[in-house]
Order: sequence, then C-alpha cells, then structure tokens
Amino acid sequence: MSKDNKKIIKEATIATTEQITRKYFFKECFSGMGAMALGSMLQGCDWLGNKDSFNNFTNTNPLMARAPHFIGKAKSVIYLHMAGAPSQLELFDFKPDLLKLDGQDCPQSLLEGKKFAFIRGVPKMLGPQAVFKQRGQSGAWISDNLPHLATVADEISFLKAVQTDQFNHGPAQLLMHTGSPRLGRPSIGSWVTYGLGSENSNLPGFMVLTSGGNNPDAGKSVWGSGFLPSVYQGVQCRNEGDPVLFLKDPAGIDRDLRKASIDAINEANQLTYNEFQDPEIVARMAQYEMAFKMQISVPDVMNINDEPAYIHEMYGTEPGKASFANNVLLARKLVEKGVRFVQLFDWGWDSHGTDGTTAVDIGLVNKCRNIDKPITALLLDLKQRGLLDETLVVWGGEFGRTPMQENRDGKTMPFKGRDHHTEAFTTWMAGGGIKQGSSFGETDEIGYSAISGKVTAHDMQATILNQLGFDHEKLTYTSQGRQFRLTDVHGRVINEIIA
Amino acid sequence: MDPIVNIFGHFHPLLVHLPIGILLFAILLHGLSYKKRFSNFEIILPFTYLIGAIAALLSCLSGLALSTNGEYDEQILFYHQWLGITVAIVSIVGAYFTKKQKTTISKWVSIALLVLLFITGHYGGTLTHGEGFLTKDATAQIKVATKPVITNTQEAFLYADIIQPILEEKCYGCHSKIKQKGKLRLDTKEWILKGGEDGIIIHNGTALNSPMYKRIILDPVDEKHMPPKGKPQITDQERILLEWWINSGDHFDKKVKELVQPANIAPVLIVLEKNTIKPIVNEEVPLNEIKPANQNSINQLTKIGVTILKVANNSNYLTANFITVIKSNDTIANLIKTVSANMVWLKMPRMNFSNAVVAAIASCDSLTKLNIEHANITDDQLNQLQNLKRVHYLNLVGTRITLKGLLPLKNLNQLSELYLGETLISNKDSLLIQKTFPKAKIIFGNYRTQNLPSDTVVLKAPIKK
Repeated sequence: MSKDNKKIIKEATIATTEQITRKYFFKECFSGMGAMALGSMLQGCDWLGNKDSFNNFTNTNPLMARAPHFIGKAKSVIYLHMAGAPSQLELFDFKPDLLKLDGQDCPQSLLEGKKFAFIRGVPKMLGPQAVFKQRGQSGAWISDNLPHLATVADEISFLKAVQTDQFNHGPAQLLMHTGSPRLGRPSIGSWVTYGLGSENSNLPGFMVLTSGGNNPDAGKSVWGSGFLPSVYQGVQCRNEGDPVLFLKDPAGIDRDLRKASIDAINEANQLTYNEFQDPEIVARMAQYEMAFKMQISVPDVMNINDEPAYIHEMYGTEPGKASFANNVLLARKLVEKGVRFVQLFDWGWDSHGTDGTTAVDIGLVNKCRNIDKPITALLLDLKQRGLLDETLVVWGGEFGRTPMQENRDGKTMPFKGRDHHTEAFTTWMAGGGIKQGSSFGETDEIGYSAISGKVTAHDMQATILNQLGFDHEKLTYTSQGRQFRLTDVHGRVINEIIA
Repeated sequence: MDPIVNIFGHFHPLLVHLPIGILLFAILLHGLSYKKRFSNFEIILPFTYLIGAIAALLSCLSGLALSTNGEYDEQILFYHQWLGITVAIVSIVGAYFTKKQKTTISKWVSIALLVLLFITGHYGGTLTHGEGFLTKDATAQIKVATKPVITNTQEAFLYADIIQPILEEKCYGCHSKIKQKGKLRLDTKEWILKGGEDGIIIHNGTALNSPMYKRIILDPVDEKHMPPKGKPQITDQERILLEWWINSGDHFDKKVKELVQPANIAPVLIVLEKNTIKPIVNEEVPLNEIKPANQNSINQLTKIGVTILKVANNSNYLTANFITVIKSNDTIANLIKTVSANMVWLKMPRMNFSNAVVAAIASCDSLTKLNIEHANITDDQLNQLQNLKRVHYLNLVGTRITLKGLLPLKNLNQLSELYLGETLISNKDSLLIQKTFPKAKIIFGNYRTQNLPSDTVVLKAPIKK
C-alpha cells in the first residue's frame, strides 16, 4: 500500500468518525444551538431597526380591522382600471401641435433605439382625434369624449406624466397593481387588506368587479395575494347570476346544517394547524367563516334593484345588465359598507385601429360613453354622501398610446389607432385627501415624452398607501428570507397632488 | 488636465484620512509613553510619525491635484493647502526629534501637530460641505423662520424676491462663493450669465434650451440631474417659477407685475402668498396626548360586531364603525361611555338610536367626526349632542332630521362639513343654516348627471369598400 493510499484511507476514517463520534456531536450541537439562540436574539432586538414594520398576519383572525401607521385621509379605495390602456391623447393630454403634424412621417429622432409593440418602420403622426376644452375653474383639458366628467374636473388631480417600462398589457398591468411585471407578488388591494383588515366583519376587505367582456390580460394574478396569506386576495364578483360562485347552499341543506359542517371542518383544520402551524390553514378557516357570512351579506350588497330611480338615472345603470355602470354603483355600495379596496377592471381600451371597435375615433368614443356618466355619478354620489373625503378614487390604464398612428407590420391600417406607449400617459386621482382641481406633470408638445413631474406605478402605489395611512416602506411581509413591500425598492409619495 | 492627475486628485478625500488616523495614533502613543507602564512605546514613535508623514505627503500631492480643477473657494483652499503641507513637515520634524529622544521639543511638536490636524481638517470640511457646515442644521431652522414674507407677489421683484431665495436654498451649496462645482456660480447676475465650464447656462430666454433648466427636469436618477441625488430637490412650484423666469428673458430687475404671466403661474403665485398665512387646519384628531382606552371595553365592543380600533398605531384615539350593528341597547351605551374620552371618529349608519346611546355619544368630548347617515334619530335626540364642540364633520344624510333638530347645535362652531342630503331640511333654508354654522360647507347633495343626446349614441365603423 503506497503512502498516498494510506493518507486517503486515514482521511476517510476521520471523515466517518466525525459523523458519529460523541465529541463531534456535542460540538455541532453547541454551535448549532448557538446560531439558533443568536438568531432569536437578533430578531428580538430588531437589529435592522425595522421597529415600525409589522408582520400583520394574526393566527386568530387574519381579517380583523387594524390601525394604519399614521392617521390616513382615506379609508377606502376605488381603483378604476381601464384595461387595454386608454389613449391619453384623446382624453386628457391636449396637444394642438400634434394636429399640425398629422399625417407627416414620424421624425427619426423619436424612433431611434426605441421598441414598439406593433409599429415597424416609419409611422405617420396622428393628430388628436377629439375636441378639447378647458374645464372648470382649474382649467383642466378634457376632451368632448368625456362631457360628464368635464363637469367635475375641479374634483380631480391629474397625473400627466406617468411612465412605465412595460409595453405589453399583462406585465404592465401586473406592474401597476403588484409593483412587479412578473407573476408572484401580492396586488395592492391585498397589501391594503393585509394592512387594514376588513372594516365590515361580514364582507371581504378587497373585492373585484370586471366588465367589458373579458378579464384583464394579466389574469387573476392582478388581484392575487402572491406570497401573502391567500385570505387577502381579491374576491371577484360576477355581474350576472350569483355574484360569487359556489356560495349558495346545495338544495336540501339549510343554514344550520351548513354552519354545523363548517364548524366541524374548522375544528379539524384547527387540529392540523396546531400540528403544522401553516398560515394557509388559518386562511382557509377564515375563508370558510367569511363565505358563510357572505351567503347573507353579498346578495344584499350586490343587489342594486332597491336603489332609488334617481340613482339609476344618475349612474346610467340598468339592474340585471352586465355593465361598467352597474359595477361603479356597486363599488359605491361596497365602500359604504366598509370594503377597503374595490377594484374595477373594464376591458376593451386597446385602441390599435385594427377594426372599428379599436379605432380612436369610433370604438374609443363608445368606450368613453360607457364610463363617462357612471364615473361622474360616482364622484358626485360619494360627495353628497360625505364619503368622497375618505374614499380615494383612482383612474388609469397600464400605459399610454403613441402620438404616431399604428402601422402594424409596416402597413397602413384601415382605422385610426395608436400603439402602446410607455413614456408618458395620464392617470388621475380624486377624493381621499387628494388636491381638488390640480394637475401634475407635463409632456412635450406632441405628447411623446414626459418633461416634468414624472411618476411611476410605484409612486402611485406609494401615494395610495400614504393616503390610507401607510408608510409604503414599512408595510412589509417576510417571504423567502427577506422583507418584501409593494413598491419593492422604489416609490415616492407624490406630495404635489396631496391636499 | 491630465486624466491621471485628475483621478489621483479624486483620491484626496480618501487619502486624507490616513494621516489624520496615523498621526492621531502617533500623538496618542506619544502621550502614553510618558507613563511608566507604556514607556517602551518610545521605540515605535519615530516610525509612526514617519508613516504619518508619508501619508500626509501623499494627501498633499493628491490635494494639489484636486485643487487644479478650480471648484473651490480660493481663500479657504489657500489655508487648507499650506496647513496641510505644514502638517507633513511637522510630522517629519516629530519623527526626527523622537528618534533623537529630545523629549521636551518632541512634546511641543506633538501638541502643535494635534492643533494643526484639527484646523486643517476643518478647512477641508469647509471646502467639501460649505461654510458653517458644523452648525448648518441649527442655523437652517432659524433661517426658515426668518425667511422674508411676500405679501403681495405682484409687487415683488421676480429675481430678488422669488428666484434668488430658491437658488440660495437649493443651489448655493455648490455654486457660489464657497464652492464652484463645474466652475459655476449662481450668486450674482454676472456669474449666472457667464455660465460654467460647459458654457452659458441660460440660452436666449427659452427654458427648454437652457442647460440650467434642462438639468433640473432631467430624470432624478440621471447623473447630470440637478440638484444631485440626495440633496434637497427643486419642488414643482419652484420649477414652474424658474421656467417662467428663464422664459421671460432672465430678468434680474423687473417686478412680477411688469412681466407676462402665463396661465400656470397664477396658482403658484397665490401659493407663494398663501404660504405666509397659516392655513386653518381642522383637527382630525385632538393634538393633546391621551391614555389608552380601556382594552376590555374595546374587546367587548368588537365582540358584538363593532369595528373599533385606534385611528393609527401612533395614537390612542379611537375610531368606531357600527356598520353591522343597527340596534341600540344599554350595553352598547355603557361600553361607549367607558371609552368616550378616546373616541374621535364615530360611524353609526342606519342605527336605531335609543336615548341611552345618544347620551353616550354626547359624552364623547373629543369627537371630531360623526356619521349617522340613514339613522333613526329624532330631533330631540340630536339636540342632546349640542356640546360636542370639536365636531367638524357631521353626516346626517337620509335621517328624518328637521331644522328643529339641527339649529340648536349652534355650539358646534368648528363644524366645517355638514351633509344634509335626503333629510327633511330643504336647501331653501341654507342661508339660515349657513348663519348658524358660519364655517361649514353645507352639502344638500341631490346631484344629478345631465342627460346628453350623445349618451346613447353608439358609433359604428363605416363600411369600407
């Protein structure tokens, strides 16, 4: 046996004995326990200084109402998302200079190094396809596509230079609502419910209503709870039939029997929770309880038949018909009942100009008519009920639209349409402690890029959380070894539009 | 300038800390060596001083390289430079005398060196952080308090009264007498017009062509954005004012009223004036601290379905929403009484009020917001609330309240929002109500949207041939 071989065998023997000897076992035990003790000590003394950050999840009642970090102006949020991205150039961002350039080739300087979803080669410029006027005392520019909204211009704060870095619907919608263009993060409504709980113990804290014939492109993740316990995800209500699916008791089961069976299931779940401590089990139990309460509360709150006639006329609602207007009225009812976050998606704003329904001078006008009256009615109705001060209304899409006419595959399109545009678009907020009749941010003379007052999805999220009383940097949840927040490492509260 | 010299110069802020550390340590060893216990430290002293001297020399050289870019105040630079060189020389002298074991002389040399280090360091700090940097925060506060007040913006001088204070607050730190980053000064008309090392900063009266304005509106993360990241930024109002000032042809001696005022200027000017008047703030929550409310009562209220919690984590005041509780009973009344001192916001929509519960609300002295929309409450019951003087938000929408119930609440002189929609009070009496509650915005609601002919029109695409 050579010297080298002997050495190797000796090393192998040592390695094996290390695994089994008493001394080695004790050594490992001590260092292991030391590390554990240190870990718990460090957690105890809060070495990162995150004194105010809180993991809000409680095992007993995850939806219990909770106080925010500081006194917030808003108690609830109605977020109106126009899925598909409405054209700011036909609604709020008036560019007379663009009219002069209508039909001319787009200058190279605007195209160099830029990527568009559909525009190829050199597109033509497309002037505004709407008539604009200044409205109210604030002199906000609103086009004739929104004649009703124009009457309440003085309630609104416009953000004229919102930017995003995603030019496809799905990722851009995710960015707007979850703070990340990729799947897996909780949506803003989930964060708010996680932070504030539900004010009405009979209703979920976060409810979602969709209209326009389709769900948003990003799918249901856009109101999902990501890594937060799933009890915080948005509860979607349908416009027709049962508002929430699978909520009704099967024929022959009465409410007492249902209650008894839920109690039995929850007892079994409690035993499993005691053994494994998985928060998802608590979430499941809370959801059973909530569903039981919702069997009574939801049909009641989702019923708009009992609203007086003048309310229906104001909103333009028709009970029984699936429409954005009905959803807006429901949003007001839900907020009145203490729901924290009501998320509305209206599909069909993707004005490419491939056919009449997506032309900025045809389809877009029709879409505007569907939302104009209801949104105006919402602002007025909240105001007359004394709720506008404590309800933040947010309106927007996931990006804007190009000042150029879309030329899909380099061909001239049959209708006037615009491509996806990330560099500047308009959103607005109203109520909830936001300035009345103001405007922040400017775009250049053709509405291509933002000049000043640039804000991002993260800034809007930070502002929404701020109005609810949260420091967006401190509303965190620990997942996979680090504390996550809605705005990730970004976000600035847009103080310029806060009253 | 030679780029290598330039880079070497940029190492100065790093290198200076070597001689400071080493020489302070040398002086410490030197001092200790007089003690018997540490007398053997003497051997190491010459070496330590020498290392310190070498480090000082390196910092002097890098400092000279840095000073060539001319961004610094010459007077202070002169002192800092020569003091720095003196430090290097004195530390060599220290090394020499400690080597020769001349204890008396070396003692005085070390004391002199200590003093020199502090003075040189302070001048260095002044160069980087600006004059008076040690006491800056304290003086800044005093300055804000004494900021000149503009009572009539139209009579104010655009540059002297409005623009210069902005530049002083946001730009002078790096672009004035004390420091001239990019060889730019903004503290006099002549310097502003002269520009910096990249040429003039204001081009023929158009803000968007002027480097000064362009830098301000650049993306804040852009390297060329001004003021740099981390420094106080130009606010949107200030930006609009600067834009106007440049666009109007950089006027240095015109009054506001003499200039053309674009549409976006008027609101900003109003704010300038308003800043001088203290805004009337509604107390959402009383300012005085209060002890936490009885937790037991809170738990019991929660149990019967009331959402009751602190208005915020950092406050002991309470907000309660009786959204799922619409029946009054004596238990509720008693529980409210036990937390009445802390209660500030109360929502009791559709509540069927009993006299006991009304009396309980009447005992909530701190109450600022009361929402009893669609509640079943009588005029007499409402009259019980006439001593809730702090209430500024009162929502009576949908109640059966008449003037008889409302007018006796005249003591609620803080009332700023009064909602009377769908009540038995008509807006014919609005003058009378306004007289009773002079500060209040009275909202009768009954809003309608118009019926426009276009509402029902659906556009169709023309059939293309």
